[in-house]
Amino acid sequence: MEAISAREEDLAARENMLIIDDDEINRGILDNIFSPFYRIEEAENGRIGLNRILEKPEEYSAVLLDVVMPEMDGMEVLRHLKEHALLEKIPVFLITAEANVATMQEAYQMGVMDVISKPVVPFVVQRRVNSVVELFRARKRLGNVVEKQQSELLIQAQKIIELNQGMLEALSAAIEFRDVESGEHVRRIHDITRHLLLHTELGEGLDEEEIEQIALASIMHDVGKIAIPDAILNKPGRLTAEEFEIMKTHTIQGAHLLERIPQLRENGAYHYAYDIARHHHERWDGRGYPDGLKGDEISIWAQVVSLADVYDALSSKRVYKDAFTREKVLEMIREGQCGVFSPRLLECFFSVEDQLADMYVS
Amino acid sequence: MDAWKKEALIEAGIDVDDVLGRFMGNEALLSRFLKKFLDDANYGKLLQAITERDADAAVAASHTLKGVCGNLSMTGLYDLLTRQVAALRDGNWDAAAGLMPEISQAYETIVLAIQRSA
Repeated sequence: MEAISAREEDLAARENMLIIDDDEINRGILDNIFSPFYRIEEAENGRIGLNRILEKPEEYSAVLLDVVMPEMDGMEVLRHLKEHALLEKIPVFLITAEANVATMQEAYQMGVMDVISKPVVPFVVQRRVNSVVELFRARKRLGNVVEKQQSELLIQAQKIIELNQGMLEALSAAIEFRDVESGEHVRRIHDITRHLLLHTELGEGLDEEEIEQIALASIMHDVGKIAIPDAILNKPGRLTAEEFEIMKTHTIQGAHLLERIPQLRENGAYHYAYDIARHHHERWDGRGYPDGLKGDEISIWAQVVSLADVYDALSSKRVYKDAFTREKVLEMIREGQCGVFSPRLLECFFSVEDQLADMYVS
Repeated sequence: MDAWKKEALIEAGIDVDDVLGRFMGNEALLSRFLKKFLDDANYGKLLQAITERDADAAVAASHTLKGVCGNLSMTGLYDLLTRQVAALRDGNWDAAAGLMPEISQAYETIVLAIQRSA
């Protein structure tokens, strides 16, 4: 019983071999030699054999091919298989009684694996065929393993990127919560920044990866607020001049905080994050803080995040105010009531504001 | 295989050990193909082609028969047919036709031995 089931298992694992020869005795001899290793199929001429292979090429792990045959000879079969690029996938062996040099050379050039002369010597033909088939199997296995490993590595790299982004979002959202703002704020700053850079000329000169890094960096624009005392951060009324001076330091504090995270400094987003945290309150007219930069001294990403921050603050409901209407928000931005921005930045912003407004429809 | 059968086949010009090796010791398969040899049409075709002096038909039949003889280790007949095919390919008709009596004798001997041992 055991012997039988082991044999059945063996048969199931076996692959197909196609023997193409017009002589029945030749087919019988080869069949007898290879039946312990393969499921044998026979074809009595080149045309029948070729059609079988073309029908289901993935099922054959070896083809034994005679040269002189009626209907279609072996060399013609080889030419067709080469045309279909199948000689690289299925090892084909030429079995011939008269192997002249010209025929062998042509066969090898087309990609035949071996030329074996008839009458065959069983252990020789067995060894030569099985070695090559095993080579093909090993190559295929190896190819599958490498492919699988590569896709696993890609998935892991993607997970690490997502984890990084998730950590940064969590950190930034925690800070925003302390500021009594919703975590949605950082998410929208990310999306607005990304949209403006991807879909307007503001992103000129930046590739897609850099834009993704800037969008990620925008999430951290207010991290410095963690260093601002609750009494000032959440004060219901107007800030005094001294309180406002302390509030303004969240820009420099944020930059310093980011500076002190070694893992972040190795990240491509770091220099954007540092610049955005420090300069998202600068103004086009030079009257912003902390460095009083003017015009294009302010990087384009800091300018974009600055506008995104204002736009989102005006468009959202906060504890101290309701959301303004869209018309009111646009009017306030256009008239410079909430900061002074470059004309080019405003032009680009208004050209895609339709799409940005969709984020606030709930 | 019975010793007397083996003896008879060897005497008729079949290298039995060699052919059994080619059939991986599978005697049943060998017997089957030896019987099929009796029905093989190529010898008849060869005779007819030689009589009709049809060189193309002669080389086709002689070549195919040679292949069968090679597979069945009929060494004497195989050598004669190899010479005949070479002569026909060289266009040497007289030499090819001149081999015919020897070929016929070897063939008949083998047929008789197979019939007796079957």
